[in-house]
Amino acid sequence: MGRNQTMWEQLGELPVRETLDSGLEIVVLPKPGLKKTYATYATHYGSIDSHFTRPDTGEKVDVPDGIAHFLEHKMYEKPEGRDVFERFAELGAYTNAYTEYTSTTFLFSATSEIEACLDTLMRLVEEPHFTPENVEKEKGIIEQEIRMYLDMPGDRVRSNLMHALYQKNPVRLDIAGSVESIRTITPDNLYVCYNTFYHPSNMVMFVAGDVETARIIDYVANVEKARHLKPSGRIGRIFPEEPHDVAQKRIEQVMPVSAPLWLMGYKDQKVGFTGVDLLRHDMIRGMMWSLLLGPASKLYNDLYQSGLISERFYAHYTSAATYGLSMLGGETPDPAKLEAVLLERLPHEPFKREDLERLQKKEIGEFVSLFENLEDLAYAFNAFHFRGIDLALIPELLHQITVDDLEKARQEHLKESTRAVSVILPPREGGAAHAAHSH
Amino acid sequence: MTWSDETDRFVGSWEDGIGFYVYPTQRFKTVTIYAAWIRDLSPSDRALGALLPAVLKRGTQRWPNRVLMEQQLESLYGANFRADVGKLGDKQLLSFHVSVVNGQFLPGRPDTVGAALDFLTEVLERPQLVGGTFPQDVVEQEKTLVKRQISALINDKGQYAFSRLIELVADGQRFGLKKLGTAEEVDRVTSPALVDFLGQVRDESPFVFVVVGDVDPNAIRNHVAKRWSGAKKPLTTIEPYQGKHQNQTVIESQDVRQGKLNLAYRTGLTGKDAHYPALVMYSGILGAFSHSKLFINVREKASLAYYAYSRIDPALALMIIGAGIEFQDYEAARGIIEEQVEAMRQGRISDEEMSFTLKAYINDILSEEDNPGQLIGRQLEHLLIGGGLSGPALIEALQAVSKDDVVQVAQQVELDTVYFLTAEGDGQHGA
Repeated sequence: MGRNQTMWEQLGELPVRETLDSGLEIVVLPKPGLKKTYATYATHYGSIDSHFTRPDTGEKVDVPDGIAHFLEHKMYEKPEGRDVFERFAELGAYTNAYTEYTSTTFLFSATSEIEACLDTLMRLVEEPHFTPENVEKEKGIIEQEIRMYLDMPGDRVRSNLMHALYQKNPVRLDIAGSVESIRTITPDNLYVCYNTFYHPSNMVMFVAGDVETARIIDYVANVEKARHLKPSGRIGRIFPEEPHDVAQKRIEQVMPVSAPLWLMGYKDQKVGFTGVDLLRHDMIRGMMWSLLLGPASKLYNDLYQSGLISERFYAHYTSAATYGLSMLGGETPDPAKLEAVLLERLPHEPFKREDLERLQKKEIGEFVSLFENLEDLAYAFNAFHFRGIDLALIPELLHQITVDDLEKARQEHLKESTRAVSVILPPREGGAAHAAHSH
Repeated sequence: MTWSDETDRFVGSWEDGIGFYVYPTQRFKTVTIYAAWIRDLSPSDRALGALLPAVLKRGTQRWPNRVLMEQQLESLYGANFRADVGKLGDKQLLSFHVSVVNGQFLPGRPDTVGAALDFLTEVLERPQLVGGTFPQDVVEQEKTLVKRQISALINDKGQYAFSRLIELVADGQRFGLKKLGTAEEVDRVTSPALVDFLGQVRDESPFVFVVVGDVDPNAIRNHVAKRWSGAKKPLTTIEPYQGKHQNQTVIESQDVRQGKLNLAYRTGLTGKDAHYPALVMYSGILGAFSHSKLFINVREKASLAYYAYSRIDPALALMIIGAGIEFQDYEAARGIIEEQVEAMRQGRISDEEMSFTLKAYINDILSEEDNPGQLIGRQLEHLLIGGGLSGPALIEALQAVSKDDVVQVAQQVELDTVYFLTAEGDGQHGA
């Protein structure tokens, strides 16, 4: 973060970054006055990494879908029979973890005993313990987690859209896998994935709170030293070539919802960027949607006034190294009409300079407020880190973006052949009778 | 920017129907302003209460439509504004919330806080009226959206099951009323009725104004005093649950993939009771954390659920237990849950459970101080319960709770109502 020091000083934030001998990167952000210290330990390994070559043997490996998320669950179990939840509980700390397409993150939030918490976080991530019994037991829990998602219309509509947009890229699959795929997971699979992706050189630690940076870094460095690890070889991540066209134009599913839930996506054909280029690409597409369909846009307002959308309507762009896509939608009484209006107007809504200037102000404000919420900040930091992006570049890049950039993005991105739609429909009249009885 | 006992707490008071509270901390980069009119939930006017915030956010005299309002918020460096209706116990809260980045962290140091105060004041005081009423089309649009929100409750199964349980427990008492009203009630709302209602709300409803962030409390006090004055109805506190169902069980079915089991217990204690800290410890040991009995026994040992929790409602004197389970596991899961409640009654509580729970609460309570929204929420809760502890005082009280105190509380916790949402037809095995 060296060359952006001025920006950080203006913000009143002074992060310290260090790369340890094992290859682990650690970033500490002092937040004087905050009660809470929030730390994440994240690996650049998510649900889409199920085909790879092992850095140790060079062997090609295929593992069951949903294994990254399964592994995340299983890391909490330790040989002494006391799981990590208990150890954090003993320290009065909160812990959790989450798995995404391209990363898995373990975290704690604590107001005391920070070093002991760091130690526990490191043991959580660094000491795998998988047995046939404990792997079998987890299947029941994860099956219930998957079934919970199956009942969430918002989750289904996104899942179906990913399925429609992508033919090959594993982002088309649910992060948790399926009830069937997780049943085939074994301790051996888990160890292979662990040894490949949970190497410190594939990971980053982020700590923010009222802490002394040097002390935290020294503490982590000492623990790491005892592991005698050196940076691992390159992990070969194998991704199939994604064809230009979408897999399906439309997926519809009936669920017990009150009104249709409609989501439209555009698959980005321009992928493969990293670092500054990726950030710029990402920001331009995101700002394009804010101007076209943000709450202050004319189109959004017209849709709102005609009753086609509610305040929960959203439009955004998301990307990583191997994929990029836009998603826009929400609940609507008339999916066909909403789609028709959008297809007619999206290519022609004017981009105006004054609107862009206002949006830049908004984005600056959101960037500054990011530093107030440690959870959001750590999330953003990790997401950017694994894509090779320095967060501090945002304000500078923001002001370089022009109306022409947005126009060019629209021409490139909004193509019929890369567009798909996912709809959750309520049951037909009469099909939604709810039996009730008491006993 | 470090912690200060001087500024890191609420100052303010409740006078003549107006509450004014400021937490003038320098630890945040944003300033959060919250204002609300507080009403007793009632079938006769709750739909008006649901619609009023919705129409007020559609236009003011200075920014007559929602595009102009949204553009103003963007100009304030992306100020966040919400106007909506909330519910706490038997109260309906017509809520307005603005948060904005403090100008000292922005280029040119603009007075964003002053502008945000002006914005909120404009929304509350100078709505866009045409011929003395809210524009007809605006009212109709918002009525349609509120009705959709009412029917959308069914979309979130966990939330749906929870709200069905509360309805069954309330059995006609006001806290069981939905904050948005029914579609029929919303249909009956007219633009002139909303204008009359606004007048009535301004004249009578207790009004609360809360600010968290680096501001001068006196300046805020002057701003409030100049615009909003007293002579309103006094604030009444939330009526706790008094009923007595004897293990009422209701099972309903829908097209779902996972069953939702919810149990309501009477605790007999609200947030202002002297024994309330013991109840907090009780619920913590039973089900508030991942070391708690419910998580360990329902999820970790029996693998019956992904989640299993208990939480207490400090206003209604209720405790709710919830779990998402396989349909055929209803009896098993309910059995394990009731066994845990019984274990609490019999005092099967280890020293470790006591100490883990205490530490977890200390962490939660201290962490609240870093979150403006939570600080405001807890201040509101105190006002509407008529007391209660928070922050360091609550920590001290929890530290003083003994195992015997917890067992004593455990013996007065009684099962009231069980609600299970399961699958239709074939999906339903043996429930």
